[in-house]
Order: sequence, then C-alpha cells, then structure tokens
Amino acid sequence: MANWSPRTIVAASWLFPAVAGGVGLYSVSRATTDPFSLLVAATALVLGSLVGVATSNSGNRFTTGLAVAAAIPFVFSGDTGVDLGGTLGAYGVGLATVWVVRYSRGEKHRDVLPMMVRRFGGYVAYAVVYSGMRVGVFADLSGGWEDLVPFVGAVLAWLTAEVLLRAVLVLGPRELSRAYLARAIVYDINVFVGLALTGALFGELYPAIGWWALPIALLPYSFAHSAFRRFQETKVTYKQTIRALARIPEVSGLAIDGHADRTTQLATSIGMEMGLGPSQVEDLEYASLMHDIGRVSLNEPNVVKMGYTDDDIARWSSEIIAESPYLKGVAEDVQQQYEPYRKPGEQEDPGVSIVSRIIKVSAAYDWKVHKDRRSPLEALEDLHAGAAYEFDPDVVASLRRLLEARGVLTPVRS
Amino acid sequence: MRLLKNSPVGRRYQRLHPSVQRKLKIAVPFFTLGLVALVAAYFLSDPPEWGLWFVFALLFVLLEFFTVEVNDRLFHSSSIMVVMTAGVIFALLADSDALFAMALMAGVALFTPLDFKERRWFQPMANFGQLALSGAAAGLVLDLNLPDVEVVTTQVLLRVAVASTLASLAYVTINNTMVRRAVKTVYGNDNLQPWSQMNVLVGGQVVMGLLGGLIGAAYEIAGRPSAVLVLIVGVYAIGHMSLFAFSQLRESHLSAISGFVKTLEAKDMYTRGHTERVAYFSQMIGEDLGFTGTQLETVKWAALIHDLGKLAVPTDLIRKKGRLSDEEYAQMKSHAHLVEEILAEVDFLQPMVEIASGHHSHYDGNGYGGSGHTEGETPSLEACIVAVADAFDAMTSARSYRMALSQQYALGELRKHSGAQFHPDVVDAFEKALAKTGRTWGAPHVNDEEMARRLAEEPELTLRG
Repeated sequence: MANWSPRTIVAASWLFPAVAGGVGLYSVSRATTDPFSLLVAATALVLGSLVGVATSNSGNRFTTGLAVAAAIPFVFSGDTGVDLGGTLGAYGVGLATVWVVRYSRGEKHRDVLPMMVRRFGGYVAYAVVYSGMRVGVFADLSGGWEDLVPFVGAVLAWLTAEVLLRAVLVLGPRELSRAYLARAIVYDINVFVGLALTGALFGELYPAIGWWALPIALLPYSFAHSAFRRFQETKVTYKQTIRALARIPEVSGLAIDGHADRTTQLATSIGMEMGLGPSQVEDLEYASLMHDIGRVSLNEPNVVKMGYTDDDIARWSSEIIAESPYLKGVAEDVQQQYEPYRKPGEQEDPGVSIVSRIIKVSAAYDWKVHKDRRSPLEALEDLHAGAAYEFDPDVVASLRRLLEARGVLTPVRS
Repeated sequence: MRLLKNSPVGRRYQRLHPSVQRKLKIAVPFFTLGLVALVAAYFLSDPPEWGLWFVFALLFVLLEFFTVEVNDRLFHSSSIMVVMTAGVIFALLADSDALFAMALMAGVALFTPLDFKERRWFQPMANFGQLALSGAAAGLVLDLNLPDVEVVTTQVLLRVAVASTLASLAYVTINNTMVRRAVKTVYGNDNLQPWSQMNVLVGGQVVMGLLGGLIGAAYEIAGRPSAVLVLIVGVYAIGHMSLFAFSQLRESHLSAISGFVKTLEAKDMYTRGHTERVAYFSQMIGEDLGFTGTQLETVKWAALIHDLGKLAVPTDLIRKKGRLSDEEYAQMKSHAHLVEEILAEVDFLQPMVEIASGHHSHYDGNGYGGSGHTEGETPSLEACIVAVADAFDAMTSARSYRMALSQQYALGELRKHSGAQFHPDVVDAFEKALAKTGRTWGAPHVNDEEMARRLAEEPELTLRG
C-alpha cells in the first residue's frame, strides 16, 4: 500500500464506510439483541471513538471507543452464547458513522483510512475470537476464573490484528520500517490493556447490577485516562525542555541556525528506517538535539583563547547532559558522536553505539549541506567516501535510501 | 516538662540529637494514638470474615509497598481503594463491622521497602499511627452510615456511594493532616519543597475511595465472582498507574528545571549558588506573604530560571570590571527577555517565564524586562518577590569587581528604594522572614559600595582593615 496513488487512497477510503456499514447492516439483520440496545451500543462506540485519550509517543492513538468495543460482546451475550450478529452490527454501523464524522471534520483520507481499517479489523478479530471461545466450559458468564479466558484470548487476537494491519497499511513514502511499527504497538500495551480491562469490568458487572456498572467502569477509566495524559505530558515536557536547551547555542549565536533541529529530524528518520525500537529512536532524538549543547561553553572567553576541538565540544555536551537525570542514558552516546566507525586494525568499534553512529552521519550531512553549501548528492558522496572508516556503511546506506525516497538526489549540472 | 527533666528518662532524652528528638516528638504520640484506636476498635466492633480480610490486606500491603513520591517527601498510594472495598463489604454484612477490619488492615501496612533498606524506625512508627487512625475513622463512618443486610442488593448502592465518599474524606483528611504535621516537624520548612497541586491529589484520593467502596458493594452483589476479583485487581493497578503518572510528570518538571540551572552553571561558574539562593529567599518571602502550594512553587521555580537569559549574553560582559558602555548595557539588559525566547516552547514554564522576565521591572513601573514588564505599571507580586531576592543576593555576594556587602547595608538599600524600585510589602515580608531564620548574609562591616569596590581592586586593603 506504500505506493498507492492519492486517488486510490481516496477511493479505498470511500469504500470503507460502504464495507463497514454493509457488514454492520447485514449482521444486524441476524442479531438477536433488541434494536434499542444495538442503538445504544453503536452510539456509545461512536461517541467513545471521537473522544481521544492520548496519542502516544510512538504514534498510536487511543480512544474511549476501545473500552466500549471491549464491553459490547460481554453485554450482548445470553444463554446461547455471544450474539455475534449484534456485536458486529454495532461495530460496523458505529465505525461507518465515525468515518463519516471524521471525514466531515475535514480529516485527510490518508490519516483516516489506515486508522479505521485497523480499528475495524481489530474489533472483528476480538469479537470473533471471543464468541468462538465462549463454548463448553466457557459458555456462560458464571463469575469464575474461566470467564476471563475468552477475554484474554480475544485481546491477544485483537492485538495481533492491530500489529499486522499496522504493518501492512503504511501509506505514503515508506520511511518507517515495519519492524518499527510492530514494536511501537507492543510498546503501548499498558494503555491498550487498561482500556480493554475497564470494558471487561463493565461487561462482567452489567448482568448483576445493571447500569450501576457504568460509573464503576467509568471511574477507573477516568484514572487511566488521566494517567495516559500525564505520561504524554511527561514526554512532551522532556521534549520541550530538550528543544529549549538545544536552542541555547543558537540563540547565543554559537551554532548555525536550525542545525540541531535538522540533524534530529534526519537522525530519527534514519533510525526508523533502520528499524530501531521506539525507545531507541527516542534516545536518538534526545541525543541528537543535545549533541551541540556543549557549545554554550564557547561563551567563555578563556575557552576560545585556549582553543578547542570537536571532541572537546562532544565532551562538554555530554558533561552538561549527564547532570540531568533523564538524559543520563544518552550522555555516553553524545560523548562518542565524533568517534570514527572503526579504528585501524578493527572490524568495527564495538564501543560506539548505533545512536552515536547515526548522529555522526546526520550531523555531518547537515553540516555539509547547510554550512559548506554542498548539494545533497555531493554531501552523500562525501559520506560514502568516508564510509567504512569514519561513517557506518549501514547508516550511510540508510541515508541514501531515505534521500532517494525524498527525491532530492538529482545530480547538479555544472 | 519539668518532671521529665529531672527523671533519668528526661536526661537521656535531652542527650539525643535534635533531629532524633524531633522524630520522637512525632513518632511516640502517633504510635500511641494508632494503638489506642486499634484497641478501641477491637472492643467496639465485630471481627470481619478473616479469609476475605486477608486477601484484601495482602493487596493493601502490596500497594503500600509501591508508594510513589507525589510531592517532596509526601508519598501516596492507591491503597485507599483496597481498604474501602473491604470496609464496605464488612460494613454491609450483618455479622461483621468495618471499624476494626479497616484499622487493622491500614495498621499492618507500616513498612515500605525503603524502611528495611535504610533501617528506619521513625517512618514505620509514624505511619502505623496515622494509617491505623485514618482506617479507624473511615471504618466508623462506614459502620454508622451503612445498614446491616443479609443479602446485598442494588438498592444500597446509592447509600454506599455517599457513605464511601464521606469515609474517604475522613480517611484522607486525617492521613494528610498527620503526614503534613510529621514532615513539617521533622524536616522543617527550610528543607521542604512546597507541596503543589494538593487539591488534585486529595480529590483524586477521595474519588479512589468512592470507587473502592462501589467496587466492594458490586463484588458482593454479583456473588463474589473470582473473575471480577481479577478485574478489581486490575482496577487497583490502574489507580496505581495514575499516581505513578502524576509523579513522573512532576519529576519531569523538576528535572527540566534542574537541567536549565545546571546548564546555566556550566556556562558561568560565577553564578553558581546565586540561583539557588534567590530561590531560597523567594520561597521565604512567599511563605511570609501567605503563599502556599502551587503558588509558592511557581515563585520558587520562577526564581530558579530568572537568569537563564544570561546564557545568551557573552560571559566577558557579565564579568566585566568597571562600568558598561551603553551598547553593552543594552546587551546585558536583553537577558530579561531572552529567557522568554529560550523557554518559549516549554508549556509548563510559561507562568514562571512571565515572572522571570519581569524581575528587573520596578514597583513604580520603571525598569526593563520582557512580557512581565509594562512601562508605568506595577509588575506582578511574584515578579516583585524575585526582584527583591535577586537584588539582596546580588549585594550580599561577591562580584568580580567588588566584595560582598553586609546584610545591614543591603537591607538598608532595599528599604531606601522600597516603594520606588521595590514593592514595600515584599521588602517588609523579607525583613521579617530573614529575622526569623536568624542567619546573616554577606560580609560583615562592608557598609559602603565604594569601599567594597576598592577592597576588590586592592586586596591588601583587607589585610589592614
């Protein structure tokens, strides 16, 4: 799907409400649950899906709809097992409506389509596995431990469907590796489980205490909600702090404008292209934003008088970073940013982390393009010349793929 | 008191280190109160169903083991949910009461891992007291407000909601009051960071208690299904996660601030300590003016970042001996609004940035600064506080071009310009607060700016003087 044209995407996107709505309506015709309950469930799903909980750092967006979707098969089950028709009906009609609302809000097809397909696929997997497992000893909700076995199985199926669909549905230039996307979902599993759990709590309690189950499920849900928001804010704070720190050398006129920002964008893109995990990409982001912070020391007249090298700057940067508790982990990476990929007589230097190697390449590339005024192709060729000694050949190859995908590698006619 | 002094116990007590004395002053009455509450509860109420009590006690102890530091030396956990769940069940059932069950459950959770690791005696004793007392109070509220029934039905849920809200209010109030008292007595105001966002935290605890109570009733109505018990444990975990998220966010704010301060210090060793002292003075003034919680923290943090703009001013200018040229002075002045430029994207610091950018703004509307300064208008009270603290520390600490001045001289200067450059209320509050600490700042006997300059230029003068 990576190289679908915009028109194909629009067509596929329009197809979604038709398919989901069709599946939904067909299922409703076979449902055993009363129409009013179906309407309530679908409405709750729509409202829930439009309330965002958090967009996590690795790009996952979680909504209340997940909790509603988790609760529906619990509520729609009777003596004869789960009403699969009613469940799928609520999912299909609900998600088709969500698509319409998001489209009318002016959201882009490119964003809406993959998200909706993933949600629908995940929900269907959950409902099918859940109802499939509610046979034999698991047939009725007796309140025993065995009630939870179908639930756990269904959540696993849901997660698998999400991972698979997310890996397949990459739209646009393929800058993200599938490995990265798959790991990103597992990274946010606590959010996912928290939401599914409040849904299950509602489903288990509903038969016994009716609508009282709603506040009992909503309260933990609101805790989960505030927790995710705070986790998100924490990340944002760190990021903003680091950005602000990274700006200092530029505000004081000690570094070229925007170097830290551009290097970071390039470095994180390379990291994702090479399939690093989300936490490593985060390290990469922090380390590359801070790689030149040591330049604030150049404000000190004595330092300039005595002279300094790149290694000194790297050392100062890492000394400043090491003082902040949350950046300690990347201090080492920053310290090594000017180390060559290997030294004479070595296959490669095992002490230099992949983060440092990526920063080295990205910073050198940005320096060549923005300071030395080289064209992207020339800059890349320079890096190639140094590959396998100064620069890691894998990182340079990844940079080439990235630049090719962005179409900036046109040779300059002289 | 006199009796104690003459007795052997009293003499031994007096030989103890003051910090141990302070700890004993809290630990002994707290522990005794807790013990009395527990014993009274035992005689006043029916015992709970021990099997179920044990399950919840285990969960309670587990959650208390994982307490999170939500404010400086203030630890919270989501355990209130557990004790309320158990309490509501026992209060509702005809053959048991909540009073003793809750007091004992809270009381057994007196240890945290840190107590073992650091072999502490004070924290477990004080915690036993405050937890047992809070548990007993909550139990009493539940017993008085909930009917004893044979079979629990949905009819009681509304009463459960009201009763568990009241009970958690009692629990949280006693718990927080006692902890605050203990922490203040033992560590004193000077060594304590202001506690911010207490309304969010206390409100959160009460809602957790309400949820815990509702869960207890629902669990009983549904016939104690084990599947629901598993989900309930999940709910407790979510509660814990929300507290953990709170502490993470707080930590991120603190380490962001320390990151900025450290960078400032890395650039200019001369200002090392200045920032911390200005923050200390600002907090002092704020407390004297009646600031608490978040407001106090805002002033303190603003003081910590007030000089960040200096990062973008060349160091040789900051350290220049002698008078600055007009151009250099303009460059020097820019540090008051450069702090805004540097911190523009850091959302949580915006209120502090405005204060910091006004720390060179005068009470009468003169001076300079960024958004915190409007020509001809009095800056915010917070900005005035930081201004006084900054000026006082600038005078009482040594500069490259002059020695430190005496505290007497610095206070005299503040008083002289009070009402013009400085806010009169703030100057008054500062004098009062400074007198209360009993500490003196600056070099004694250097009561003249010219003399201080000459002393710095000709060090041999100091030998003679």
